[in-house]
Amino acid sequence: MDDASFLPTFPFAAANLMLVGAILLCGLAAGQVFVRFLRLPRITGFVAAGLLLGPAVLNLLDQSMLDELSIFVDISLGLILFELGRRLDIRWLMRDRWLFASSVAESMLSFLLVFATLRLFDVGGVYAATAAAIAMATSPAVLLMIMHERRAKGPLTERMLALTALNNVFAFLLITLLFGFVHLEYKANWVKAVAHPLYLIFGSIVLGYLAFMVARWLARWLGKREDAQFVMLLGMIVTTVGFAISFKLSVLLALLAFGVFVKNQDRQHDLMAVEFGPGAQFFFVVLFVITGAGLQLSELAVAGVVGAAFVMARLAGKMVGLVMFAPLSGLTKNKGALLAVGMVPMSAIAVVMVQGASALYPEFGARLSAIVLSAVVILELVGPLATQWALTRAGETEATPRPPEMKP
Amino acid sequence: MTLEFTHSDAFTMGVELELMILSTHDWDLMRGAEDLLALIEKVDHPGEIKPEITESMIEISTSVHRDYREMLAELEAIRDIVLAQAQRRNLAIAGGGAHPFQHWAEQRIFPKERFFHLHEMYGYLAKQFTVFGQHIHIGVTSGDDAVYLTHVISRYIPHFIALSASSPFSQGIDTAFDSSRLNNINAFPLSGTMPFVKDWADFNAYFDSMRDLKVVESMKDFYWDIRPKPEFGTIEIRVCDTPLTVRKAAMLGAYAQALARHLMLDRPHEPTLDAYRVYSFNRFTACRYGLEGGFIDAASRTRRSLKEDIAQTLLRLAPHAEALGSMEALDEVRRCIDSGENDAAWLRAQLAATQTLNDVVRRQSALWAGTRDASRTGQT
Repeated sequence: MDDASFLPTFPFAAANLMLVGAILLCGLAAGQVFVRFLRLPRITGFVAAGLLLGPAVLNLLDQSMLDELSIFVDISLGLILFELGRRLDIRWLMRDRWLFASSVAESMLSFLLVFATLRLFDVGGVYAATAAAIAMATSPAVLLMIMHERRAKGPLTERMLALTALNNVFAFLLITLLFGFVHLEYKANWVKAVAHPLYLIFGSIVLGYLAFMVARWLARWLGKREDAQFVMLLGMIVTTVGFAISFKLSVLLALLAFGVFVKNQDRQHDLMAVEFGPGAQFFFVVLFVITGAGLQLSELAVAGVVGAAFVMARLAGKMVGLVMFAPLSGLTKNKGALLAVGMVPMSAIAVVMVQGASALYPEFGARLSAIVLSAVVILELVGPLATQWALTRAGETEATPRPPEMKP
Repeated sequence: MTLEFTHSDAFTMGVELELMILSTHDWDLMRGAEDLLALIEKVDHPGEIKPEITESMIEISTSVHRDYREMLAELEAIRDIVLAQAQRRNLAIAGGGAHPFQHWAEQRIFPKERFFHLHEMYGYLAKQFTVFGQHIHIGVTSGDDAVYLTHVISRYIPHFIALSASSPFSQGIDTAFDSSRLNNINAFPLSGTMPFVKDWADFNAYFDSMRDLKVVESMKDFYWDIRPKPEFGTIEIRVCDTPLTVRKAAMLGAYAQALARHLMLDRPHEPTLDAYRVYSFNRFTACRYGLEGGFIDAASRTRRSLKEDIAQTLLRLAPHAEALGSMEALDEVRRCIDSGENDAAWLRAQLAATQTLNDVVRRQSALWAGTRDASRTGQT
């Protein structure tokens, strides 16, 4: 048989490359179909492609393949969280204190209403609290993608990003603290219950700070060249994700902290506000397709009613909080409501958070995912549409220009 | 129907400034005018604050002044109010005649009937009109005085261009001009100068014929460098870029005021067509080279440097500034020509120091805010 060794053998040597390429192309095609024929957001198309290819329907992408692709998910989330961190301007929060207050209000109300709703469905205390904490966070990935795609620009867009950055911070902190209770629930000792959240929070922030210091030093050395700084930041983001995983820290918190330090601590302005643009699109498409593949329609059948109640309670919390505080920031109530609708998406990050919990205690993760993932299925498909609608309604997406008519 | 010319006290003044609304994330222009104006509406403020043609622009204007210091104080007060409200939305504000790297195609027309009409009429020119100018109004007692002053002050237009020039960068490049903004205005069919009419009756005859021919509907349709403004009882000088500070804006107002007093009381020139023959060339030179440019004096048929012409003018204006209480402003003009540095030079120096136009805009916004060390404050 030696003579035939130049012929391909099965399994193919580069199956992974084919897989990634195929995911990218399928996602792209589905996105195009959604935009052109269904007039729905491109992201919904990516997610739908994943859902179709994934275990839920065709099972072309099975669970083991998804596990192999998890590195893309980590890098994509790293990019997104870093970008989100750069939108958290501490000086703005000092100047418009009602912005911070409205963020606390919408986050707390989302938490409380979701928690109360889940308790009504007899969900256990720690599970309900963790699920409610996950409900606080808005998906920055969906927001950033929609804003990029629709070329959204304006005060409401900026505010939505700032509020999203804040509710993600609150959610991370709360979930991490709840890990302590999860430990207790599973009869771990007190030291572990206290030490683990502290290690996660402070370890991740320190890692983010170190990443910022190195990035700033590199930026000074490289000078203000956009292409060089782009590659440098990408390199730093991927490295930081790697360190966070290796040290068992929170990838999300570390990268968010990295972004926040870049925005607020770079006093000499050595780092440029580089746009990730087309390069990041690659990661985004892969991320959304994989997220879609991770969705399980069976969860919807089991926990559909709870999921729907979860979604409504979450929206109610955000709506009440943001509408109530809108006038104090000089916004109309209508704008407050648009903010709440725009912040509906909850996606990939919730999935990651659930996975974090699963890694700790598989039984806990399984019970939690049944609750959260049914809500994710709903919001993954509806969320992008909500954001797009809110931004368009606020008049901040790119409008089709009025055709100029020349006067005779 | 004749245009009624409202009587004003001679040598009163007021200024209008078009300002940039900026994102503090990347320092590009930001569509925020509507939101910002809604906030400003709720607070007491002097002067007027209005929308402009695209959504990243806002226009502030002072009330009528005689005293330079009072006008400066009002400008500072308006600046601070706009800034405070902008900061609630994390927006920044800056002076400057053109945003260094905005793309005009991305600008959006402010939702107001007149602006939609202009967009329909002028197409892409309307969006390219996202440039930022200072308009100076000088009070005159009659329409005849307005026509006279419009003619004789035209000789001095290069002074105003060079002293205010603050648009060296446009669409991401160094244009080699100190004021690139005026090139955007040249494209409009009714730009340029007022025709050589001899008095207000003559002007009315011209205006009526233009209206009968359906070329214009109102005075607003003329985009002249200097135009009479009958409803205010002023002449309006429209060639200045918005300077980087309100102090310089007030300085330019005071310079125009003293110049008007000199021209009306000393009557050193009579209106001539000769002066208009060199007008375009002098105007171009001032845009292109700023204070380093040359100047052709049509009356004496001589060439000199623009700086020299301003220096000579300052000598003649001194007694008038004395009378108006604005010597301080003239001293500042003197410092500008001594150092040879206008705002365009400052902007180019910032680019040399920081290497990116985003940083230039950040610094110009800090300078506008009146913070002492522009390089350290106003950061994001």
